[in-house]
Amino acid sequence: MTTLRFPLSRIEGHARVEMEVQDGEVVSAQFQAIEMRGFRYFVQGTPAEQMPVIVPRICGVCSTAHHVASVKALENALEVEPPKLANEIRELLLLGQLIQNQATSLFIFTMPDRVGASSIFHMEDSEANPEQQLSLAQRALKVRQIGTKLITLAGGQFIHPVKAIIGGVTSGIKAEDAKQMLKELQDTITTACELFDEYWDMSLAMKERIGTWGDDEPACYIASTGVNRPEFNSSVIRVLGPNGNEKATFPPESFRDFLDYQTTDYSFAGKSSFEGMVLRANSLARMNLTRSMGTPCADYYLERLTTEFGKPAHPILLFDLCRGIELVYAFERAIEMLSEDLDYEDTSVPYSLRDGEGYGLVEAPRGPLIHHYTIENGLIADAEFIIPTVHNMGAIERALKVAGERYITPQGINLELEKAVGRVVRAFDPCIACATQ
Amino acid sequence: MSEAKPLPKFAVLQLSGCAGCEVSLINATEWVDNYQLVYMPLVVSTTAVPDDTEILLVSGGVRNDEDIYNLRKAAAKVDRVIAVGTCAISGGVSNLGDRDDVRNIFLAQSTRHHLPHLLPKSHPIDAFVDVDLYLPGCPPTPELFMAALTDPEGYEAGSIVCVECGRKKLKDMRPTHLVGFQQGEVLPDICLINQGYLCVGSSTRGGCRAICTKPGHPCVGCRGPSNAYIEKESSVWFDRVQQVFERMTDIPPEEIKEALHSPQLSLFLFQFTDYSEGGRPPRPKEKVL
Repeated sequence: MTTLRFPLSRIEGHARVEMEVQDGEVVSAQFQAIEMRGFRYFVQGTPAEQMPVIVPRICGVCSTAHHVASVKALENALEVEPPKLANEIRELLLLGQLIQNQATSLFIFTMPDRVGASSIFHMEDSEANPEQQLSLAQRALKVRQIGTKLITLAGGQFIHPVKAIIGGVTSGIKAEDAKQMLKELQDTITTACELFDEYWDMSLAMKERIGTWGDDEPACYIASTGVNRPEFNSSVIRVLGPNGNEKATFPPESFRDFLDYQTTDYSFAGKSSFEGMVLRANSLARMNLTRSMGTPCADYYLERLTTEFGKPAHPILLFDLCRGIELVYAFERAIEMLSEDLDYEDTSVPYSLRDGEGYGLVEAPRGPLIHHYTIENGLIADAEFIIPTVHNMGAIERALKVAGERYITPQGINLELEKAVGRVVRAFDPCIACATQ
Repeated sequence: MSEAKPLPKFAVLQLSGCAGCEVSLINATEWVDNYQLVYMPLVVSTTAVPDDTEILLVSGGVRNDEDIYNLRKAAAKVDRVIAVGTCAISGGVSNLGDRDDVRNIFLAQSTRHHLPHLLPKSHPIDAFVDVDLYLPGCPPTPELFMAALTDPEGYEAGSIVCVECGRKKLKDMRPTHLVGFQQGEVLPDICLINQGYLCVGSSTRGGCRAICTKPGHPCVGCRGPSNAYIEKESSVWFDRVQQVFERMTDIPPEEIKEALHSPQLSLFLFQFTDYSEGGRPPRPKEKVL
């Protein structure tokens, strides 16, 4: 038996892939999350009210999703309903996160795979001409920076936001600040679309070269987005069966009744499944579970995707294209929202701290994220984080196996395998810091 | 035309952390034209820090045996090591796990097959390698990253967060109790202490441009003590915060004391205790940006 070990880069956190091969057959493909910080344990005893500031530190990439999920879990436990303005600001926060995350995944993590470079900052080992590369990097950073600016505007601190509080938000958005942000979004959306167009073409070219979109077998899909249009400040989780029929709809507190969870000895992250079937979360799941984007440019791209690949679509490299559609959507939706007044009264409602148990759900860029807290005497007695990347673990391993079988034969190992492993993992945009907390 | 001088090379090593520091760094774009990024697994596919690298930024704490190995190996290759963010400087948020019950959980995990062995607690990087510059913040802002890479001495920051915050301190608005850590309406433009929030910006080092307090969230002290306290025992820092509240409010001192020492605010204040306790010498202020 031979063990192949692949270090991973251009993903969030520390992970590696191991494949065991016997006589040219792939015996196993493991995705190993190799770090753990232990948030679940050390937040025990923390004042409940501090959670929204502590838990963003689970992950600097997904911090906004944790911030909002945390506040929602506490509100659920304390039976508090935030005012409309607070929900709007939180949605904007999540849109900022979506822009930042999808731009990072598309242009910094996966675009180099399409042009054969080690990073978007390195022109010399690229197949494309240097000038074009440089301008790619600068444009890509500019687009993702808009996401950060939006998070800062809606959330205060730019990586670990602070503005969502139990019962609401600390402040609205002043008209002049909204106007400035609106202008920046309008100035940059064209760049985002151009980059995405280039990305789409590069993806088609890559498909021509490698001859596959990766694992394109059907799977189940899980998301908490809306039925008719996207929703990120979400409340209900839905699961789609492999044939495209909806299999389950449930609130966050019922997740145990629908999802099976399994731990492994080779990874600090477990994996979940649905009725014994492989689950997929993230952009492709949302696209398969939502009728439309509800904004013009994003809908144009969605239609293009659906025409070319059908619905539900299964090939894993489509996750990347779906991220681009969502990037455009987030720009358009944020522009829509900032055109309305976000500085009216009632930013929050009062609450009183008491014992209780609560669940908070948001649709994070990587899928449905649930925080579950038990509060005793104002302190966290127990905390549980149900992480979307964990839903994808089984799907990642299945796709790795497909790649292994494609490039490993009794005659030898095709060197394309290493690149394929990177492409497969990045398609799912896993977040290891979150998955292991 | 003479040949252009090659750009200085820098590398970013991420140990156990959240990648927030890296995300902050890629929010700064100015370095793209001034530096050659040779190693940063988050954004570049390379396997090791090249030998001729000048600057190594290290984020995250030392949580497992692979972290120690990677840190020592990388630090040996470079001219200058910069510890970035609170995790690298003092163990960070993960240091909240430095309790017996939590340590036992980590130890129980440490024998797992194939996986790096977890250490009983998270360590700052200067427990293993020499550090030339400390860049505190959770995370440091892009502006601070650029300053650390280009001109640490020339960076102009307010001595404390209050200087950069600009909320007005009022003489006649004296709360009698702390409001919840996050509770209540926040009045714009008025000092959060006047409004009864446990804000520690008055002795936290400036440079962050008060991005939390301006929109209404009390400072949690992520940049650590200001130069006046950084080389002193952490109790001096705590006392200072206490004095500010006694001067500005009618909140009973015990209430402040309890709030500062209880898990309330433990997120960041706790971690800085090892600036002067736990057997490690304080970091000299010249080395802290």
